[in-house]
Parts: sequence; C-alpha cells; structure tokens
Amino acid sequence: MKNTIKVERAKKDWTQADLAKHIGISRQGLNSIETGKFIPSTLLALRMAKVFNTTVEVLFQLDETEDLLTMDPENN
Amino acid sequence: MGQSGKTAGKQSVIFALIHAGTYLPATWLLKHRAFDQPVSVIIAIVPIITFSVFILKYIKAFSEMDEVKQRVQLEAVVIGFSLTVMLMMLLFLLGLCDVSNPDLFGFGNMVGYCWAFYFIGWFISKKKYGV
Repeated sequence: MKNTIKVERAKKDWTQADLAKHIGISRQGLNSIETGKFIPSTLLALRMAKVFNTTVEVLFQLDETEDLLTMDPENN
Repeated sequence: MGQSGKTAGKQSVIFALIHAGTYLPATWLLKHRAFDQPVSVIIAIVPIITFSVFILKYIKAFSEMDEVKQRVQLEAVVIGFSLTVMLMMLLFLLGLCDVSNPDLFGFGNMVGYCWAFYFIGWFISKKKYGV
C-alpha cells in the first residue's frame, strides 16, 4: 500500500507531530503509517482524509502487486 | 495516545513494579522463613492480588493506546504466550523422558521466562513497526 501522507503534510507545512496531534495518535505511530509499515484502520484513514480536506483514495493507493491480485480472476 | 492514555500506561507500569515488589519478597519469605499455613497462604495470595490489579490497569492502558501501539502490544503478548506454551510443552515432554532440571525450569522460573518472552516479543514488534 502506497500513501501520499508526506506530500499532503508538506502542502500544509505540518510536521509528523502536528498531524499526529490532529488525528489523535502518537508521532511514532504516524511515522509507522507514513513509511508503510502499518496499515491504518478505516476510521483513522477517514480522519486523516478529513484533516487534509481530501479523500482516502488520494491518501492511500494499492501498489502494483496488490492491484494485480484484485484483477486476477483466479484469486477472486 | 492522549494524556489519559499516557497516565494509564504509566499506571500499568507502576502496578507491574508493585507486583514485582510483592512477588519477590513473598517468594523469599516462603522459601526462607517458616510460617503457620494460614499466614503462608496469605503471603502467597498478596502477589496474585497485585498481579490482578496490574492486569486490569494493563487492559485499561491497552484500550487507550493508539492502534499502532495496540498492535505492538498484541504481537508482544502473542509471541510471549506462544513461546511460554512451547517451553511448557517441551519441559512436560522432556519430563516424560525423565529429563528435567527443576532448578532451572521450576514454576518460579517459568514466571521469569514468561516475562522475558513478552519483552522479546515487544522488542521484535517495536522493530517491525518502527515505533
């Protein structure tokens, strides 16, 4: 899973600590999400999208291998 | 984790220390001093009560953690529990083969191993999620 959190953060000139405070998690937790080590819950993803005034699809995208898996009929 | 979450986290650590502060002296007293049986039973129960309070505080702290920290704790507990069960099964099966060393693998030592396995799990999980 790819994400554009860093880009959206840069647009607002926010640090990780600023965003973490807005969405109610720890800075280390946000770092883990931003680096793709942890996939957030729907609730947290929606909260993030709301503070950036965007959609979850803009913030999170499936990477190529995950995308191919959903298109492969043998896996459905 | 908000301010209340941090407080709950600190409280669980404090109660873990209080438990250790009752468990170790209780073990020492029961090993090295002779008491009447009712007094011995009371001394044996005190660390169990402090451990119960610690577990309640830990559950409260867990519910107030953010989801990344919850995952780290969950994986630490799963790894700690799995390794403890594996060790207990191994010791049981080795016991059936008449291979046992109660000095190193008695019930008292198992508590220590259980905590050690939890901390191993915690370390692995923290590293995995970069927290």
